[in-house]
Amino acid sequence: MTAEGGVQYSKIAEIKGPLVIVDDVENAAFDELVEVETKEGERRLGKVLEVGNGKAIVQVFEGTTGLSIAATNAKFVGKVMEMPVSREVLGRVFDGLGRPKDGLPDPIADRFIDINGEPMNPEQREYPKDFIQTGVSVIDGMITLVRGQKLPIFSGSGMSHNLLAAQIARQASVIGTQDDFAVVFAAIGVQYNEAEYFRRSLEESGALKRSVLFLNTADDPAIERIITPRVALTVAEYLAFELGMHVLVILTDMTNYAEALREISAAREEVPGRKGYPGYLYTDLSTIYERAGKLNGKKGSVTQVPILSMPSDDITHPIPDLTGYITEGQIVLGRDLFRQGVYPPVNILMSLSRLMKDGIGEGSTRADHGEISNQVYDAYSRAQEVRALAGIVGKAGLTEIDLKYMDVGDVFENEFLSQATDENRTIEETLGILWKIVSKLPKNEITKIKDKYVEQYYKEE
Amino acid sequence: MAAQGRIVWVSGPAVRADGMSEAKMYETVTVGDSKLVGEVIRLTGDVAFIQVYESTSGLKPGEPVVGTGNPLSVLLGPGIIGQLYDGIQRPLRALSEASGSFIGRGITTTPVDMTKKYHFVPSVSNGDEVAAGNVIGVVQETDLIEHSIMVPPDHKGGKIANIVSEGDYDLETVLATTEGEGGNVELKMYHRWPVRKPRPYKNRYDPTVPLLTGQRVIDTFFPIAKGGTGSIPGAFGTGKTVTLHQIAKWADSQVVVYIGCGERGNEMTEVLVEFPHLKDPRSGKPLMDRTVLVANTSNMPVAAREASIYTGVTIAEYYRDMGKDVVLVADSTSRWAEALREMSGRLEEMPAEEGYPSYLASRLAEFYERAGRVRAAGSPDRDGSVTLIGAVSPSGGDFTEPVTTHTMRFIKTFWALDAKLAYSRHYPSINWMNSYSGYLADIAKWWGENINEDWLSLRSEVYGVLQREDTLKEIVRLLGPEALPDEEKLILEVARMVKIGLLQQNSFDDVDTYCSPEKQYKLMKLLVDFYKKGQQAIKEGTPLADIRAMSSITSLLKARMDIKDDEMPKLDQLEADMQEEFKSITGVKVSN
Amino acid sequence: MDERHPLASNSLEVTIDKILKNTENDVLSNIKTALDDSQQNLDDSVPKLEAEYDKILSDGKKEAEKIEKQIMGSADIEARNKQLMALEDAVDKVFSKALDQIANADRSGDYSNLIKTMIEEATQILGTSEITVTTNAKDKDVVQSTLSQFPGAEMSPDTIDCLGGIVVKSKDGAMTFDNTIDARIERLKPLIRKEIASKFGVGE
Repeated sequence: MTAEGGVQYSKIAEIKGPLVIVDDVENAAFDELVEVETKEGERRLGKVLEVGNGKAIVQVFEGTTGLSIAATNAKFVGKVMEMPVSREVLGRVFDGLGRPKDGLPDPIADRFIDINGEPMNPEQREYPKDFIQTGVSVIDGMITLVRGQKLPIFSGSGMSHNLLAAQIARQASVIGTQDDFAVVFAAIGVQYNEAEYFRRSLEESGALKRSVLFLNTADDPAIERIITPRVALTVAEYLAFELGMHVLVILTDMTNYAEALREISAAREEVPGRKGYPGYLYTDLSTIYERAGKLNGKKGSVTQVPILSMPSDDITHPIPDLTGYITEGQIVLGRDLFRQGVYPPVNILMSLSRLMKDGIGEGSTRADHGEISNQVYDAYSRAQEVRALAGIVGKAGLTEIDLKYMDVGDVFENEFLSQATDENRTIEETLGILWKIVSKLPKNEITKIKDKYVEQYYKEE
Repeated sequence: MAAQGRIVWVSGPAVRADGMSEAKMYETVTVGDSKLVGEVIRLTGDVAFIQVYESTSGLKPGEPVVGTGNPLSVLLGPGIIGQLYDGIQRPLRALSEASGSFIGRGITTTPVDMTKKYHFVPSVSNGDEVAAGNVIGVVQETDLIEHSIMVPPDHKGGKIANIVSEGDYDLETVLATTEGEGGNVELKMYHRWPVRKPRPYKNRYDPTVPLLTGQRVIDTFFPIAKGGTGSIPGAFGTGKTVTLHQIAKWADSQVVVYIGCGERGNEMTEVLVEFPHLKDPRSGKPLMDRTVLVANTSNMPVAAREASIYTGVTIAEYYRDMGKDVVLVADSTSRWAEALREMSGRLEEMPAEEGYPSYLASRLAEFYERAGRVRAAGSPDRDGSVTLIGAVSPSGGDFTEPVTTHTMRFIKTFWALDAKLAYSRHYPSINWMNSYSGYLADIAKWWGENINEDWLSLRSEVYGVLQREDTLKEIVRLLGPEALPDEEKLILEVARMVKIGLLQQNSFDDVDTYCSPEKQYKLMKLLVDFYKKGQQAIKEGTPLADIRAMSSITSLLKARMDIKDDEMPKLDQLEADMQEEFKSITGVKVSN
Repeated sequence: MDERHPLASNSLEVTIDKILKNTENDVLSNIKTALDDSQQNLDDSVPKLEAEYDKILSDGKKEAEKIEKQIMGSADIEARNKQLMALEDAVDKVFSKALDQIANADRSGDYSNLIKTMIEEATQILGTSEITVTTNAKDKDVVQSTLSQFPGAEMSPDTIDCLGGIVVKSKDGAMTFDNTIDARIERLKPLIRKEIASKFGVGE
């Protein structure tokens, strides 16, 4: 840091939406941090989106409400936005821009890190393969999470995504290790009580002292949401790759993030892509999601569980759609299951963990894990078809084998999927229930499991 | 005289600089005090519009821009195979040596190790006349790749002088000089070629040889030819990347260029971790010995993503010119199109559909046009091919969006991935009703000559069952399966068997991941036999339930995993068992 | 309700008597069965009750564990936070002492050189030498004398409240460069805090 910089400009050409356009600007850099000062001396942060020909377009994170052309000053700080980091950030609560919100002083920084991060070199990544036991059967058994993965929860308004994310945060462990772990939680435009539920849940499990919270709640400035996931991930990367911790990052709700991005894009009058979201939404989201991972020669890891609510439960909406193209799978919550009172209401057919195959099997979970889960996917999918058919022709029109599949569907939902929010199942228990489900079927229906496993685990009732 | 200008405007990856009247279109330039790499994409007066291949964070108006005088080019020579490059051919390993785990900026490196020595065996002598494309000798690049050293395509021709004798040389050694009208030209083990300019060849052939991928739904149902074009569109989670990885692993080509264009970082890592341990089924050597990776992941600078496609295809053409069959896999062309869209937006060009530039279609056409089976320029005669396979990531899985629809105009094989199939864990989730191959007739001859002459008729038979099932499913949906007569129920049963036993393939199963053409043929034949025998049995009055209860069905369905490629007699045994079982169930009927 | 007819009532009694006699045995056996049943039920419910009891116990235990964890976690954090506040206090003290020293520092020699460097820096950053310079009342003379070396510069009649240093404005008023010692300290404060904290043995 140098003493240089800090020129303040008072010629404001235009204020529109979250943008302030400053005239007669010399010596400003793209992405530079800007302090916008109101007449009353209130300081708001922003950054340079575009600079040249004597103009700078500044995006103000805390909104432009109350700013005037005449009495506004913009100070170009001479550096990009940075987050002070040190071990002492653990147990702290920050606002959406990374400023203390818990009445305590700024953390004494070990380092100041550019919140945009730098792309991980793919050649330096370590392929994620450490199985994380979440104690939630449907995840461990069917949508396995591994360290360094980015696995979002696609939810809809009012569904139990927060319960699930909090349960994962409380229970997640890697069998047979006592490694240092931490939770980084970023609330992005969610209601206060949702953020508070999370905080309490961490407190009750004694994990608060190993957590860092960034809170931008629904009543906080919307544009700030562009920054919130970035400061959170900057801290997560520091904890993981410099202090060697295994960090679970929960970002909720990414839909609010994308909406803030859309607001800026609209103010800049950019040509929109689908549904008014900017054409670079994919690239922008990737600069957040791709900050999950493991690195060669570094002990820690960043695992991301972003939560996003699908507008109208529509999975083809640009936000879940583009997210799904970047993340390594998705956990999709189903409205039907939720209405039936099933917790967690995970629709496994639409859910997927891309890294599962490398995190399971002999040496981590059990040799039959992959095949039994494939068979249950297949069986549950058949069960759904049969249910649909039964809805039309009635149960009487079903064959004997069809009825067995109906049974599979019920057992799956009632005994495997359903579990209490404080129920922490071992992987052995989880696999046991999967075999119980498959054992409802005659042996000749089992086409995806090797005979040796069928002999070992199949138990006809 | 190189252009020397100053930055006047910065917005993300787009920069404007004035004082650039000396600059040429598509010239590479260094941008700013930290010397970022950029490329001129528009010239207006003395203002150059530049796309910058690295992050422009902190860049200021007033900083210098300097032209290099050269268009964006790749270095072509031994050492490319096995590398992982970024979009502008910087080796990511070298970048990590310079900036650690994260990618820094303004780093310059050479694409290959210029000091590494290769054993050069000359094939021309002093005084020989050579022309562009002529092979002057070979080096062994990897265990799998014999690398021809060629006279560069833009060479004017001349007489060889001072050719070195057989021996070990590094890349900068002058191997020979040519004396010609244009003066003396030095020939080294490498040359450079601009990425946006297709490499010339002598003439083109029709693609008639199938590219065998070991994937049954591709090879048997929707084949692609060597030198052909294919596209694989699919919503997320439909297994696009897994399918492309399978092609990159098992395709019977000599070189594979895999471009990760705007995709996940871990996917490239997976290839890097996995390929060195996987053995090429034909040579037994590590797959990495024939693979080049170009990675510009989604979070890396967007402009370099645009360039990565051209970098990859130019490398592919270079190996084609040596007489090799090259497969290029681009995952995903949609992200490339988005990079075009983003730059076009910053240039404030008039947008066409969904904000894409109006030249999207012509850019796609130009890209796919670089596929082909060709006779390479120069002597001796070499025939090589570049097969182009592009993934498409349609937003919302909607195949009517611009990138999918334009791509469909320029490709001949279309593997439509289907979210519904993926949800029911039918992998690869290639939908057999929506996919097509324009090469079927062209490559049927090859199958007829090399595997069995009834291949095409068997394929039609199996495909016919799937088509019948598609119509019958409608009736079942309305009336339930019991409404169908036994003959039609049999079709449903056989279709189920075709799906499970033939179309589905488990890429994570050691045996099933690759299926030889012989085994593909045999499995298909067994299913057709089953169908015919079943029809016959029902005609003779055997109840369908008896057929359904046959124990050979399970064996047949598991054969893809249980029986290895080199255990073909086991499939013969399965055939015999099946026939016996048919005899016994129809026999019981007679004794009643 | 209407009054019952005595006869009717009488006959009813008789009937009841009859029925009672006839069913006495049945009833008795019924009662016995019921008794047996309830005994059985009781026997059955003992383990159930025990299980229930265990569950209450284990739930209570879980709850207690939860509370223990929570209390321990919170106590840890509280202790740490107190430490942070104490540290911040100490840092502040050191800081204000330092500021006092700066404010009261001698303004001869070096200081006018510092002002000169500050003006040079400002003209370079603002890109103009047509500037107005403002300072505090105490430093006015020192600054005024330095200004003679900068032809386009003039002294502002106003003064500002600061420790030292100057604020430089372009004459058109569009640009301001705050080069007061206060602003410099503000910019460097995070680094200075770290420096001080490390003297207390924190943050290495």
